[in-house]
Amino acid sequence: MALEIKRDSSNSFIQKLIHFKIFKNNMIYDFIVVGSGSGGGALAYYLNKSGAKVLLLEAGHFYRKDTFPKTEAETSAHLYWGGGIEFGKDGKMGFLRTKMVGGSSIVYQCLMDRFDDIAFNDWKNESGVDWFNNAEMDKHYNQVESDMVLHTFTPEERNGNAKLFVDACDKLGYKWGNLRRGQSNCGAEKGNDCIGCLGGCFRDSKQSSLVAFIQKAEIEGLEIITETEINKVEPNSDTCKIHGLQKGNKVSFEGKKVILSGGAFGTTRMMTLSGFKSKFPALGKKFASHPQFMWLGFQNEPVDAHKRMFQAVASKDDSFRAQGFKLENVFASPISIGMLMNETGVEHQRLMKQYRYMQCIEVAVRDENVGEIMCDNKGKLTIVKPLTDQDKTRRNKGLQAIENILTTAGAKEIYKSNFYFGLHLMGGCVMGTDASKSVVNPDFQVHGEKTLYIADSSIYPNAPGINPGLTIKSLGHRLSTLLLK
Amino acid sequence: MNSFSNSAVKGLVKVGNIYCPKNGEFPSFAEVAGTYKLDDLVKNVPSDDFSSLNLVLAIFAFLPNFIIQWIVSKCQQSQANPSDGIIPSTFRQLNIGLRGLCYSLYYSEFTNPDYKGKTPLQVIDYSLNRITD
Repeated sequence: MALEIKRDSSNSFIQKLIHFKIFKNNMIYDFIVVGSGSGGGALAYYLNKSGAKVLLLEAGHFYRKDTFPKTEAETSAHLYWGGGIEFGKDGKMGFLRTKMVGGSSIVYQCLMDRFDDIAFNDWKNESGVDWFNNAEMDKHYNQVESDMVLHTFTPEERNGNAKLFVDACDKLGYKWGNLRRGQSNCGAEKGNDCIGCLGGCFRDSKQSSLVAFIQKAEIEGLEIITETEINKVEPNSDTCKIHGLQKGNKVSFEGKKVILSGGAFGTTRMMTLSGFKSKFPALGKKFASHPQFMWLGFQNEPVDAHKRMFQAVASKDDSFRAQGFKLENVFASPISIGMLMNETGVEHQRLMKQYRYMQCIEVAVRDENVGEIMCDNKGKLTIVKPLTDQDKTRRNKGLQAIENILTTAGAKEIYKSNFYFGLHLMGGCVMGTDASKSVVNPDFQVHGEKTLYIADSSIYPNAPGINPGLTIKSLGHRLSTLLLK
Repeated sequence: MNSFSNSAVKGLVKVGNIYCPKNGEFPSFAEVAGTYKLDDLVKNVPSDDFSSLNLVLAIFAFLPNFIIQWIVSKCQQSQANPSDGIIPSTFRQLNIGLRGLCYSLYYSEFTNPDYKGKTPLQVIDYSLNRITD
């Protein structure tokens, strides 16, 4: 493996000559995938399965089920870029962006939802890409789903928080549905509390990119290099060279095709640092993030929202969909719940003392893609993500529905947090037919570049209003079929 | 490698006691916080952001409590009534940074080794079952 790395840290002529010779003989990969999250992990798996020589690069650390952080504090500090939450320029909205093999799929809930016709039609209208439809995507969804273990929650698996949600929705006439999740053996029947897997699943049950794809590909010979941050891509007609830092040392790689899968922030950063901003006015634009707001209702009896399967149901109401929001039955560990509260001192402690009595619901807004991801020449990101009037209207309607549910469920007090954050980071290198309004073409290829592709949520033309994970993986599968033709 | 100065740790304890005072069963931040864990919690924070935080906390070490309380209340206001501009934005980010550090140590398994009482996690009756087999 070491021979595949060209290290610029060597100074002697002989060393450089050796590296040059190795490079000239067999240093060129068939495919290099930069970023190992939902898109990159699945794509690397499918490419590697074909027998191609594939390198998967990741900026973060390689954690396994027995090495994930065991505490909430360490999870935030170790698994996220910036050591925790990052902020937009105005300091109003937080963004959560992971940094480890498997990417966001490690810390998310692995809810596997297909897009509906509304989402694909809006993508098609915005991008001009005619294959954005369920008929065309069906085979890719099918393939990815067959490579994961999926589970639809049953009524018996609902915890106290889910039961309160379902009962209140029924009384209010709100439609809801059981969630479908990627998981194989969560051990809930033995008393396992799955909220712990928000820091990485210690049972290898959650079907993250790590479990569902990367570890399988690793056994079949996928080469993985971690703690390597790529800062520059140089595509040419035959190959694409990429350059970056590995633990402080300069490194370079070369592939016949390079696919960027660093997510909305990471891929936009690599593209901007590589000088593509002057070529593509759309680079960094059309950023959306499904802004999420969590409210708490305090019940008289313990809810224990953190116990067992902590997220089993969600809204499934056509009117909510039409109004541009969805509700999720979620919760979080104590530090995160504390962060929702702006109070300090005794009042903060009074609220936290009721942790076990908290019912919790979140609204995710299908937001307009007016955000922008900017990057200076040192690689420092600045995010501009205002809430538009439409976003605020959607938020307010969703929060009203939450208040109705909490009140109907008998909450004696409602905590209305105004802190909001984005987990689904989308756009920045959107796909489209027009190079003046997009960065990649309908074949995932950076416009005009034969050897450089993008496969992650950065290509999303706008916010779908649906969990993006399954579609990111399925788009990765679609690209693999194009690359292997 | 990010590492807080001794003054910054003192400043954090002062502001931590405002966020998390001794109150009934709840211990004070100063009593319970395992500050030995601090540097590990900030190891991935960008160096320029860390330097700013380290400086602010070091200044707190020398400020009277009522001024720190005033700064904390400004931070709260910036979150409660978010307005535009660099000053409110800075206060909001300071608000999250300070609360993030304080709560990460307070609602944490990493307690002061000398502290023998109920931890905040025990006070809120939080427990988590991890079944690995």
